[in-house]
Amino acid sequence: MKDNVDISVDFAGVKLANPVFTASGTSGYADELADFVDINLLGGFITKSITLKPRKGNAPPRIVETDAGMLNAIGLANIGLDKFIKEKLPILERMTTAVFVNVAGETIDEYVAVVERLATERVIAGFELNISCPNVAKGGISFGTEPGQVSEITSAVKKAVGEKILIVKLTPTVTDISVIANAAVEAGADALSMVNTFTAMVIDIETRKPVLANRTGGLSGPAIKPIAAYLVNKVYNEVAKKNRIPILGGGGIRTASDAIEFIIAGASAVAVGTANFIEPDCTTKIIEGIKKYCVRKETNIKELIGSLGK
Amino acid sequence: MMVCSENKDVFSAVVRSNKKIGQRFYRLGLEFSGDCAEPFGKARPGQFAELDLCGTALPRGEAIPEDLCDMAERNILLRRPFSFCDVTVKGDKTVVDILYDVVGPATLRMTTLSAGDSISIIGPLGNGFAMPSGKETALLVAGGMGAGPLLHLAKVLTADYPNIKVVAFAGAKTATTLPFEKRLDEVSEVLGFPLAEFAGYGIESLVATDDGSAGYKGFVTDCLLEWLGRCGLAAKDMIIYSCGPEKMLAKVAEIAQEKNIDCQISMERMMACGIGICQSCAVECKVAGSNETVYKLCCKDGPVFNSNEIVFSN
Ligand SMILES: Cc1cc2nc3c(=O)[nH]c(=O)nc-3n(C[C@H](O)[C@H](O)[C@H](O)COP(=O)(O)OP(=O)(O)OC[C@H]3O[C@@H](n4cnc5c(N)ncnc54)[C@H](O)[C@@H]3O)c2cc1C
Ligand SMILES: Cc1cc2nc3c(=O)[nH]c(=O)nc-3n(C[C@H](O)[C@H](O)[C@H](O)COP(=O)(O)O)c2cc1C
Ligand code: FES
Repeated sequence: MKDNVDISVDFAGVKLANPVFTASGTSGYADELADFVDINLLGGFITKSITLKPRKGNAPPRIVETDAGMLNAIGLANIGLDKFIKEKLPILERMTTAVFVNVAGETIDEYVAVVERLATERVIAGFELNISCPNVAKGGISFGTEPGQVSEITSAVKKAVGEKILIVKLTPTVTDISVIANAAVEAGADALSMVNTFTAMVIDIETRKPVLANRTGGLSGPAIKPIAAYLVNKVYNEVAKKNRIPILGGGGIRTASDAIEFIIAGASAVAVGTANFIEPDCTTKIIEGIKKYCVRKETNIKELIGSLGK
Repeated sequence: MMVCSENKDVFSAVVRSNKKIGQRFYRLGLEFSGDCAEPFGKARPGQFAELDLCGTALPRGEAIPEDLCDMAERNILLRRPFSFCDVTVKGDKTVVDILYDVVGPATLRMTTLSAGDSISIIGPLGNGFAMPSGKETALLVAGGMGAGPLLHLAKVLTADYPNIKVVAFAGAKTATTLPFEKRLDEVSEVLGFPLAEFAGYGIESLVATDDGSAGYKGFVTDCLLEWLGRCGLAAKDMIIYSCGPEKMLAKVAEIAQEKNIDCQISMERMMACGIGICQSCAVECKVAGSNETVYKLCCKDGPVFNSNEIVFSN
């Protein structure tokens, strides 16, 4: 038992070797991170957001560091669907880990077009719908803040995913995240991913201007962890548990204990983002740490999920 | 003794020295042994590495310059990029030197590193300077801390390209901010103030200070322009290499374009990952034969670019 602890999980019907994912936009298309960590050891891999057409992204500065976190306003810079299929899919095809493609767009049709093109690709386990990017003028977060729109985009994309699973990624920058989560679930989401970054600003007091060219950016990193853990628990209690919908939880995870907090709060799997920049191999350590915890506590992932006491 | 990560490119280095060499300038010496020695031994001038300084302590209160006291309170999270001013292979060890300027919380922490400390480092990263094949003269134009990678380049050029004449131009606001170990007045005067380090490689160098406290009074780019005016060399036989503040690089690029001289510059951007993942380090570049521009990544496509590619912001 000790050497080979089973920390596999069933995530909306996809069998994962362990509950640890790398988060979208923080691990590229896998080839970049592959020098540092064996991607196949991950429970799941999520690509950078893909849009129908390539996107240049925002002007620099695109990031700024804050205490225990960072703001980013990348603006969904990505290579676009065609190049993704030509250059990156062959790399992903060699992976044994569960691969999820994160999809973004400016219109519902764009989201649907991307998913339709990829829905039959064998290597793809599912899609993560990014309706929570705070850094683009059109689309992005605007789809994720109003329940009617969440419902509309989720059901349109659900029709296009075929056999694949559909994860809807939620923004925390809303009054009641459970309302949004519920809209996604009712419209057919197979899983929820939370949280994306929090809209935030850093001001340069010398120039009295925002540091980021985009003015605002999304806050990620350890600073958001306790808020994210709370929101995961709230959505677990109010939406996910009764609908038997798994949550991919995250926000500020750096260590195994951070990851375990999210699982106890109600996440079936966890996504590690910003921490990859500091320790590109941190996910390996997190996986090992979760195993050790399960041995020490004589427990397993299934029993841990949503086990938060009163 | 040396602990190397099993994964490629995250290395552990041991601090050998950390010397203060000017008001705010330090030279950090890092030693790599075992499996780490080889990749760093092959580091090219202009490449860089990402240092994790989160676990490094701040200096004592009184040792923090007053203008940085407020900033010092901030905690750091991300690694910081630094290029190399010298790389030396000694048997099975590699020593890498970094010239750095104390500007904020991470570089303040860096000053407390002392011999024997170990530090996590990712590198060598990015593309360095292209070598001057077919050229007769290489001009190195440094602004402030930009001297670092150009010193590394000077070493490689003088060793590997003995037939190429190298001339260095170093600029700073005032003489005290020049990041070199020897005081300027210790250096003999040939043409302007040759700098100790470049002189050590047998390189003629010219100094410019904004206030005229040493060498040419004015910007290093004016000094370069004046020199080009009287050098009598053909543009096609020269190449400019430059590193420093972006405003200076923009001016160097302009001069190179006007005079039709090949020019390579090392750019800086805020970097979250340094390894081509996060897309944070965008550099706006021209697309040949069109009015369009693209964003290239400073960490992966650079930090060295051909100067005629870059769209400078102002
Ligand atoms: C490829 C590369 C090579 C570099 N090589 C060297 C080197 O050899 N020696 C050296 O001293 N420095 C070098 N730098 C710059 C160095 O990384 C920053 O000075 C350092 O990150 C500052 O950290 P800090 O926490 O002390 O200050 P921060 O609080 O992070 O910054 C202090 C001030 O500097 C600005 N700043 C920080 N990082 C950058 C950056 N990357 N580009 C432009 N402005 C920035 C900030 O906006 C702020 O105003 C290099 C940067 C890059 C991208
Ligand atoms: C630089 C950067 C780029 C990101 N890009 C994307 C993206 O393209 N699509 C997306 O859905 N989320 C993106 N995210 C959000 C992350 O996937 C993650 O949800 C968020 O950063 C919170 O997790 P963390 O605190 O562990 O980083 C990005 C985050 C960062 C820091
Ligand atoms: S710093 Fe992350 S892509 Fe360049």
